[in-house]
Amino acid sequence: MAYFKLPSGVRDALPAECRALYAAEGKLSAAFSRAGFSAVRTAGLEYYDTFAGIGSTVEQSKMFKMTDRDGSLIVLRPDMTLACARIAATKLRQKRARLCYFSDVYDFSAGGNADREVAQAGVEIFGEQGAFADAYAVAFAAECLREIGIGDFIIDIGHVGYYKGVLEGSGLSEEAAEEIRGYINAKDAVNVEIALKEHGASERAQAALLALPSLFGGAEVLDEAAALTDNPAALGALAHLKKVYAFLGEMGAEKYVSFDLGTVKSLAYYSGIVFTGLAGGVGAPVLSGGRYDGLCARFGRDLAAVGFAIGMERALRALGEEPPVPACAAVVCRPGGERAGWQLYRKLLAEGKPCALFTEEGEVPAGYAPVYIAGEGGIVGC
Amino acid sequence: MLNVALAKGRLADSCADLFLRCGIRAEILKEETRKLVLETPDKRFNFFFVKPTDVPTYVEYGIADIGVAGKDTLLEAGADLYEMLDLKFERCKLCIAGFPSMRGVQKPRLRVATKYVNTAKRLFFSRGEDAEVIPLHGSIELAPLTGLSDVIFDIVQSGGTLRANGLVVLEEVFDISARLVANKVRLKTKAAEILPLLAQMKRHVGEGI
Repeated sequence: MAYFKLPSGVRDALPAECRALYAAEGKLSAAFSRAGFSAVRTAGLEYYDTFAGIGSTVEQSKMFKMTDRDGSLIVLRPDMTLACARIAATKLRQKRARLCYFSDVYDFSAGGNADREVAQAGVEIFGEQGAFADAYAVAFAAECLREIGIGDFIIDIGHVGYYKGVLEGSGLSEEAAEEIRGYINAKDAVNVEIALKEHGASERAQAALLALPSLFGGAEVLDEAAALTDNPAALGALAHLKKVYAFLGEMGAEKYVSFDLGTVKSLAYYSGIVFTGLAGGVGAPVLSGGRYDGLCARFGRDLAAVGFAIGMERALRALGEEPPVPACAAVVCRPGGERAGWQLYRKLLAEGKPCALFTEEGEVPAGYAPVYIAGEGGIVGC
Repeated sequence: MLNVALAKGRLADSCADLFLRCGIRAEILKEETRKLVLETPDKRFNFFFVKPTDVPTYVEYGIADIGVAGKDTLLEAGADLYEMLDLKFERCKLCIAGFPSMRGVQKPRLRVATKYVNTAKRLFFSRGEDAEVIPLHGSIELAPLTGLSDVIFDIVQSGGTLRANGLVVLEEVFDISARLVANKVRLKTKAAEILPLLAQMKRHVGEGI
C-alpha cells in the first residue's frame, strides 16, 4: 500500500492554488456579509435518513456511508442546501434568515474524471417568496461571479413549474415523467419522442414536451412556450419568469440572463425557478441554484427558500490567472544574532509588513525579499 | 471559431458531406492527411480527429464545443452533454445475437460478450436479469463460437459477419445512428455560432442517404 498517494477523486491544493481559492473566498465572504448573510459551518457527518428519507433528495449512490456506534447509518455531508434547510427549520427561530457557507461536499459516485470532494460557496435565503426574491437571487449570483473576477458568464434560467404543469393531465406515470425529464435535460429530442409514443401521453402535452429541448434562448422563448400549453400552472410559471425578467431589467442584470425551459432539475428538490451559471472558458457550470420551497417542511417547518452555490474549483478555472504571490521579507538569524533578528521581525510585523523568521541553517526559499541577516553585531546585511 | 470533435473514418466522410451541404468549407475533411487538427480556410471551424469513443469526452470537457458520435458510443460513455440532432447516417442496431438454439432460452446466469459493457450491464439490470457481462475489444462473434459466452451484445449493420459464423439476431435492442452532440455550457455561451449551424444541419439532414 502506497500511503503517500491519495484515494481517487480527492486532491491536495498546493500553495499557488490555495492562494487563489482563499483570495476568491475572501472576496465572496466580503460580498456575502455586505449583503447581510450570516455564515454557518454545518456538521461534516449527518444521518443518512436526513437525505434519503422522504422522496430521496440525494441519490443513494452519491453518499459516503458509515455505520455509527449505535448502528445508525451516517454520511459525509453530501449537500449544503439541505444542511442549511435543516438548520433554518430546526434551529433558527426567525421566519426569515439569510445564511451563507464555505464548505466541502462529498460525492461518492464521482471519481475518475470528477471530484469527490467539492469546495462550494453559497447562500440561502429563507422566508422570501415571489418574483422579486427570485430576481434578487439571480442578480446576486451574477454579482458574486463578477466579484470574484469572472467577466464572461451568463445565468441560464428555467422553471420546474412549466414541466410539472405540462405533465398535469398528460396521462404520464411518475416513472415515465422521470425518464422523460432525463431525456429533456440531455436535449435528446429523439428519445423524448420515442418515450412519449411508448407511454402514450396526451397530444397537447406531447407537443409541449417535444418542444422543451429546444425552448432555450432569450426572453422570447417564454412566449413560444406559452403558445404550447393551456395548463394554468405551466402558464403561471412563465408569467412568473416574465416578472423575474422585468425585475432583473430594473436591477440592470438582464444582460447576464438567458432562458432554458428544458433545464428541468430534480423535482424532488426544486419547486420553482432554477438557474445555472455558465462561464466562457469552462465546459461545466460554475454556479447552480433555484427555489426549493418544500425542503424546510421536510424538517418540520415550512419556509420558502431560494439560494445558489458556486463550485469554487470551476470558478477558479474560469479565472485562469493566479493571484500574485504577496511580498514577504525574511529575517535570517545567525548564531548570536537571534535577539536582533527577533526584534527586527517584531518591528516589521508591527509595521504591517509580512515577514518570515529563519535560522541560519540552509537556504532561504525563493520568493522572500528583502532578506535581512542578523548577526552578533545586530543587522549585518540585507 | 467552433471546435468540432469528429471520429476518423466513414463517420468523418458522412459528416464532411453534411457540412458541405450546409455551406461549410469542410472540403479539407476529404483530404488524405495525418494531421489531427484541421482548420477551415475561413477559420470558422476547427476539426479535431479523435477515436470514436473519445468524442463524448472531448465534448463533455468543452475542449470541443460540438461533436459527432454514434448513439452506441453515447450510450456507453454516459457523458453529461446535449444530444442535439439525429444525423440519420451510420444507421445500425445494437442487438443481442447468438446461435439460433438460444432463441427464447432463459438461463439463470446468461454470459454476454460485448464491447458495450456499461450499456449491457444497464440493460440486463433494468430487466432484472442476472447476466455475466464479459468485456471484449473486437471479434465479438468469436465468443459464442468458442464457448466464451452464450450470446453477444453488439452493433449489427448488414449481419454478414453473424451469418458467416452461424449466428442470428435474437433481439434488436436500440436503434443507432450518428448524433450531433454539444457541450452543455458552450451551447449557451457560443449560441450565436452553434444555433444557426444547427438550424442549417436540421434542414439538410437525411439528404443523400
